[in-house]
Order: sequence, then structure tokens, then C-alpha cells
Amino acid sequence: MSEQQSPIRVMVVDDHPMWRDAVARDLAESGFDVVATAGDGEQAVRRAKAAAPDVLVLDLNLPQMPGVQVCKELVGANPALRVLVLSASGEHADVLEAVKSGATGYLLKSASTEELLDAVRRTAVGDPVFTPGLAGLVLGEYRRLASDPAPATDGDQPKAPQLTDRETEVLRLVAKGLSYKQIAERLVISHRTVQNHVQNTLGKLQLHNRVELVRYAIERGLDDA
Amino acid sequence: MSGVGETVAKQVRVVRMSVEQPLWRALSGYRVLTMLYAIGLFASAYDEFDRPGIAIAFYVVLFVWTLATLPRVQSAVACTKRFLAVDLAIALTGIVLTPLAADDHHISGGGPTLPSIWTAGSVLAYAIKGGWRWAVFASTPVAVANLIERGSPARDTVHNVVLVWVASIAIGYVVEVARASERTLARALEIEATTRERERLARDIHDGVLQVLAMVQRRGAVLGGEAGELGRMAGEQEIALRTLVSGGLVPVSRISLDAAEGAVVRAVEVEVDEADDDGPVDLRSLLAPYAAAKVSFAEPGAPVPLPAPSAKELAAAVGAALDNVRRHAGEDARAWILVEDEPGEVVVTVRDDGPGIPEGRLAQAEGEGRLGVALSIRGRLRDLGGSAELVSIPGQGTEVELKVPKARGKAGTR
Repeated sequence: MSEQQSPIRVMVVDDHPMWRDAVARDLAESGFDVVATAGDGEQAVRRAKAAAPDVLVLDLNLPQMPGVQVCKELVGANPALRVLVLSASGEHADVLEAVKSGATGYLLKSASTEELLDAVRRTAVGDPVFTPGLAGLVLGEYRRLASDPAPATDGDQPKAPQLTDRETEVLRLVAKGLSYKQIAERLVISHRTVQNHVQNTLGKLQLHNRVELVRYAIERGLDDA
Repeated sequence: MSGVGETVAKQVRVVRMSVEQPLWRALSGYRVLTMLYAIGLFASAYDEFDRPGIAIAFYVVLFVWTLATLPRVQSAVACTKRFLAVDLAIALTGIVLTPLAADDHHISGGGPTLPSIWTAGSVLAYAIKGGWRWAVFASTPVAVANLIERGSPARDTVHNVVLVWVASIAIGYVVEVARASERTLARALEIEATTRERERLARDIHDGVLQVLAMVQRRGAVLGGEAGELGRMAGEQEIALRTLVSGGLVPVSRISLDAAEGAVVRAVEVEVDEADDDGPVDLRSLLAPYAAAKVSFAEPGAPVPLPAPSAKELAAAVGAALDNVRRHAGEDARAWILVEDEPGEVVVTVRDDGPGIPEGRLAQAEGEGRLGVALSIRGRLRDLGGSAELVSIPGQGTEVELKVPKARGKAGTR
């Protein structure tokens, strides 16, 4: 990866000062530019808008405003922002919600420092960071979208997103703990293609989420008028 | 905490209104209507009265009293003992005054008393306010006054007396039962609210503990040596606790609430061992305990219901597969469990990152009967109508894919 031109600007959001400092220190020591830190949701939104980081390392369990909401607001305001969720408990609903509203990576706090640094680097270049657990959740979410009875499907209703067979295959392998390199070997495709497949699975989910939001807003708007 | 307390209080108040308020409202209506009815009865039988002045004076008092005391019969608090006593006194006075106002023909013919059925309203107020004992207390003097008014225990009088007695006692009893179940419901709501609050608090506390454990693990790994060992232990506890917390995969005691049945609440203490029958269980709660430092557990994020026997067999098969990993790929081997909830079947995959089994060797080993565990897993799955596939790719470890069809047993349709 070419991270040598200018350091990646990172912001760390965590309500535990101990964690926040440790993560910020690790990142700074490895050459990242930690442009801001924040201890609660509202602070995070304010400071992120001022500091304009490339990558937001975000804990989901925050006072004032939940991390999912922070993610929604900041990605909504600046779609170029990359969000890496770093969570201790891995509440499934929260993680899935954060990913649907724009986060492209998820890591447990128990991950090693090297894993964290690698994850931030990959997040910065737009490469989704999946744990096997997240892959399982995303697979489950697509399954639910496919099996939920579509609400009175008219022509203009957005169709629930579906995975291609290849994407499902890749996602299953991620969930079974294979690295992208191993997946590429097994399916005889390039590393880049594996990345693209994983990225697509997220992209479709996020797009669907946005479309649903817009549709909801329009419905509400028409109701109010 | 105070927020929760308020919520409970609010709910209870709402409930109390819903049970008792209609009774009081009905009583208010009853009192006004029966007062007008009594006056109407008097007007229609005016010529049966020797001294209509007494009757008219009584009705004026009754009219004013009934309307003036309407606020008194709006709730149990407003309905004071003094009001009840005066009210009953007016009814009794009206009954006793009847022979003085009306002629003998009216009395002996079983004609209505001056307050007529308005009296019942007074007794009912006692019943609603204080239950069946109060109802007995109030209906007894009414019975006595009726007998005095009539002069002799005629059959229709006795009949009416018994009617008032039975009706007021029954209503008093119903009110008591309603209050008791209402209290039970309030208690249930309270328990539920505190349970929810406790779960929320637990989640927050757990998050804090998880953070610290993960931190210890992290620093320990950096420092190495004895600290590294501490860090490793912290990491194991972190995974155990996270599995416990995340999504509540371990079955927790639940209070199912039915407003109509107070008895449901008792189920909270009884519960504990369920899942002994064929009822569907969440497969995830059986597999989650397998997650460990070297075992990742990926699941769809929603319950995966399976009939209890299938789920148990499947979980046992996963356990056997993990044992197999440890035995053949070593203690340091990592393993991944993936649960998938397909429309027709549940698929559980256990993969390890051991050296794997070279192609050809697999069939050979199978022929020599050296895949004992794998075969026993396969047998188990076949009994469930499912299948077990063993896939090994050199350099990518070994995968055991377990499939169980859903369409068996009762929980089939979904």
C-alpha cells in the first residue's frame, strides 16, 4: 500500500479514556496522524466536522449519542469518510446497523495492535475490514431481506438486494476465517477480485439502506403535505 | 432509576383507571337515572299517597343530594365513609317514610318504596368502595328497613331483600377480585421494568469490564513474559463474557406478560429447565459456549430455531468436530464455526487451519476406519435426516459441513 505520501488522518472516538489514549498512541507511533479524539457522540460529530479525518475509529457504545447515530450523521455529511467500528461487546444489531449506515470495517477490541493498524490502513484505502463474525451477520441479513415478504411489491418498490452466487461464496469463506489470499487461491481469482466481491456485498446493503431511508422520507413528506 | 420508577407508576395508574373507573362511572349514571325513575314512579301513582307532601319533601332532598354528590361517586378516594353513611341514611329514611306518605293499599299491594331502586345504588357504592364485607354491612339495614316498611315478612319483600343482598355481595366480590388482579398486574409490570433496567445496567457494566479485559490482553501482549500470560487469560475471559452478553445468546429468564392472567407472573420463579420437549430452541444458544480464544463463532444475528433434539445433536456434533480439530491439528490450531439459516436447512460449518488432509489420503483414511470421529458425526447427522461433508484443501485446513433439514418435526414451516 502506498501510505508514504502523506500520513492517514485518523480520529479516535471512545468513551474510555484509557482505550482512546492507547489506540491513539499506537496509531501515532505507527505514523498515522491522529487529528482528533472524542469521548462522546456529540463531541465526535462536532470535532469530526472540524478536523476532517480520513478514517474514524469508532466505538459504538457512547454516551450522549449512540455510535450508530454518529456514523450515520458523519457519513451522511461526508460520504468520503471511512469508518472503522471498534467495539468491545459486538452487539449484533448495532454492528449491522453501523455497517448498513456506512461503516466499512468492524474489529473487536480484543484484536491485536497489528490487526488494528492493518485494519485502519485497509479502511483508509476503501478496503472493507470483515471479521468472520461480521461476514456471518451480513450473510444473515441478506437471507432475511430475501425471505421477508416484500411490502406489497409494486413496480416502483426497490427490490431487496441479493448476493450473486460468487459473492455468497466469498462471504461464506470470510465467515469461515479464510484470508482474502486463501480465498483468492481457492476460487482461482485475483486478490483484488475478492476485495471487490466483499466490497459489493457491503455496497449493496448500504445502497439499499439509503434507498429505504429516502423512500421513508418521501412517504413522510407526502403524508405531511 | 427514577425514570423507570415513574414509568411504572404511570402504567399502574393507567391500569387502575381501566379497571375501577368504569364501575364508578356506571354508579354515577345509575344513581341519577334511578333518582329520576323514583320520582317518575311517584308521579304516576300520585293518588296512592295520603300525604304527598312528605313524599315531595323527600324527593326534593333526594334530587338535590343525588346531583350535589355526583363528584363523590367518581372514585374510591372521593367516596368517603361519611358520604356513604349519609347516603345510606337517606335511603333508609326514604324506605321508613313510605308507610307515612302512602296509603295502606300501596303498602300491602307491594308498591315501591319512596327511593325504590335508588337504594341499590347506595349499597353498590359500599360494595365498590370496600368489597363484599362492606356490601353485607350496607345491605343488612336496608333489608331490615324494608321489612319494617312492609310490616310483615311478605314473600315478595323477602325476595327483593335477598336480591339486593346477593347482588351487592357479588359485585363487592367482583371488585375485590378485580383489584387483586390489578395489583398482580402492577407488580408484574414493575418486575418487568426492573428486569429491563437490570439488563441495561448489566450491559453497560459488561461493556466496561470487556473494555478493561481487552485492554489487559492488549498491553499484556506488548509487554510479554508474565504480563503476556495475564493478557492471555484476560483475553479468554473477555471472549467468554462477550459471548454471554452479545445478543443474549445464553437463555435468560423472561417474563411473559398477559394482562388478563395474574398467574403468568408466577412463571418467573418456576421457569429454569425448558427445552426438554420437542419445542424449538435457538441453535445459537447451544453453540455460543464453544466460542473461545481460538474458536470464532459467526452466526446470522437472528434466532435459528430447530427442534430441541436436532439442535442438541447438532451442537454435540459441532463439539465432536472441535475435539477432532484439537486432536489432529494441535492445541494451537484455530477454528471457525459458521451458522447459516437457509430457507430449507440449517448449515453449520466447522473449519480449522490445520495442515489439512491431502487429496486421496482422505478416502484412504476413511477406508482404514481412521476417521472415527468424522464418521460418528456423519452417523449422527444422518439420523437427523441431514448430512456431514468433510472437505480438506491442503494449506487451508479442514472443513466439516453439517446440514440439518428444517422441515422435520413441528417447527417445520419456517
